[in-house]
Amino acid sequence: MTPDFSQLIAKLTDSGFEFVMIGGYAAVTYGSSQVTLDLDVCAVLTSENIELLRKALAEWNPRHRMTAERLSFLKFPKTGEALNDLYLETDIGVVDILSSVLGVGDFARLKNAAEKFEVDGRICWVISLPDLIVAKEAVGRGKDKLTAVELRIIAAKRKPRAEGNEPR
Amino acid sequence: MVPDNELLEQARDAGTDLDLIDTNLALRVEDRWRQHDGALRFILKLQEAKAAHDAGLQPTDR
Repeated sequence: MTPDFSQLIAKLTDSGFEFVMIGGYAAVTYGSSQVTLDLDVCAVLTSENIELLRKALAEWNPRHRMTAERLSFLKFPKTGEALNDLYLETDIGVVDILSSVLGVGDFARLKNAAEKFEVDGRICWVISLPDLIVAKEAVGRGKDKLTAVELRIIAAKRKPRAEGNEPR
Repeated sequence: MVPDNELLEQARDAGTDLDLIDTNLALRVEDRWRQHDGALRFILKLQEAKAAHDAGLQPTDR
């Protein structure tokens, strides 16, 4: 596997799959120095969204990483089924799709406060910095606490912002 | 804005590299992503190299 999360994000964005980036890669987006092994996003996994995701990831052999047989995401779940969470590995990286974030809430709650970034001409929604700090502190693992400290430093260094969720 | 002293002290205690954060903040988001992905690829290569090295080691009775 050769990780390329930038490419994964570009493909997800272009596919029309609606998501908010969360987790370690969101922290990297804000300037954290931590390295994360997976791309975490929050989304509502309706059957329609799952089909969009399937098409977006098809070329990278997506499979369910929590199954012993590494079942193909292209075959499971069957068309028309909805899910809460998905844990996938692909040829260009691990991507987890979660319906909610511990300590913060569900997709609608996250999206409402999310920050909009324009990257390489694409709009990408990222969990707000305050929400990300809450989420990292809620998980409470050593590396999450370290990331939370970094994020609080970054939050303090950011200049006061005008109203709205504009990219910086 | 500048982080207050308490936060800075907490960061130092946690081993946070404040310089590294400043370096990252000076980058565009796309460059933060590319830098991260490059670092991750390097880490995974090191892990592969370690696994290959360990597999080549002979067990010893001593």
